[in-house]
Amino acid sequence: MTRICWWLVDRLSRLLEPDEREAVRGDLAESGETGGQALRGVLGLVVRRQAALWKHWRPWLALIGVVIPVGMLLTIASRATANGSAIYIWLYANNWDWSFLENAGFRHDLAHFSAGVCMSYVTLMCWSWTSGFVLGSLSRGAIPVNGALFYLVLLLAELPGAPRYIGHSPLLYRTGDVDVHSVVFALAFYRVMFPLIVQAVLVLLPSLWGMRQGLRLVTFRPLLQTTLWIAALATLAAIAIPSHVWWRFNHLYLPLVAWDGWQARLLRLVVYWPIAYMAAQWGGPIAFQEKNT
Amino acid sequence: MLGEFEYLLLTAAARLGEDAYGAAIRQEIEDVTGRRCSIGALYTTLDRLEAKTFIKTRMGSPTPQRGGRPKRMVRVTAQGIRAARDFYAAVTRVSRGVSWEAL
Repeated sequence: MTRICWWLVDRLSRLLEPDEREAVRGDLAESGETGGQALRGVLGLVVRRQAALWKHWRPWLALIGVVIPVGMLLTIASRATANGSAIYIWLYANNWDWSFLENAGFRHDLAHFSAGVCMSYVTLMCWSWTSGFVLGSLSRGAIPVNGALFYLVLLLAELPGAPRYIGHSPLLYRTGDVDVHSVVFALAFYRVMFPLIVQAVLVLLPSLWGMRQGLRLVTFRPLLQTTLWIAALATLAAIAIPSHVWWRFNHLYLPLVAWDGWQARLLRLVVYWPIAYMAAQWGGPIAFQEKNT
Repeated sequence: MLGEFEYLLLTAAARLGEDAYGAAIRQEIEDVTGRRCSIGALYTTLDRLEAKTFIKTRMGSPTPQRGGRPKRMVRVTAQGIRAARDFYAAVTRVSRGVSWEAL
């Protein structure tokens, strides 16, 4: 029990600033507190520190602007991607015959659908990464709370089934009416497991990675920060605009920003900016050198 | 104006002088008041007092009995001394003529 308490103390104290963490751990070692007392003390300090962060507007903006709406939209996008690709995976997996590959039409269709599914996966990953990036850069120190709430929204929205009627994206493969493909979705794997796998791999992991990168944004030069912010906000808009709610709004009030306009085509390209960002990070160009280097 | 806990902390730090740091201040407060002082309350109050410029803190050198971890050393500033003196004077003035034993 004591071991678990000290392990928890170690984990919790990582949420403190490095200097404070060292001083607190030193104080606990010197005063000879039990694991339980130390855990209570560190927990109290972490809670106070987190509460203090919520006096600023940034964590609130992240909560209201990203955690709830983007969490819901990502769940819808994730479900649409999973269902859309499940049909093709089932179709090919259940009817596969190597001799089909001799048929040029089959090869063409296979390449076409595989490319479509892969693109929808990459799109979802980029959206998730960007959502995490924005959440991390807005929340900063409050990321443990906002990150946990973000994943809670994803989980809660996925379990009862997100309201599918607002999920309508030209960037993602759609099933249309799931009932039409009842043969596929009668299988528990495609109905339950596959959407969860897609959400874990294409939403949870990329968004966690994005959060880590977003926390570093403050260390970049102002011009780079602004550029990244514009790209991130355009990507978030690309998640929101295709939904029916925005589609109706666009048609009623902003006919020039219809989804098929040049603005939309540009948005579709901007969505993939995380790939360029990561390539630039690994390449280590001068632009990505941090302010203090 | 200081709060009660802020005053206790300033007084403990002033009494400890050069040896004022987190664990020692905490021990001093617990010994004097007989009440438990949580690490959370101590460190957030230290930050508040530093923001008010009543104390200055710095990281000391690591020691073996602390598992090689440094201390957060505390020094009461002139403004801190003035604030504690004002608080003490206010408590003394407001207490004049009141005997808590008799009530």
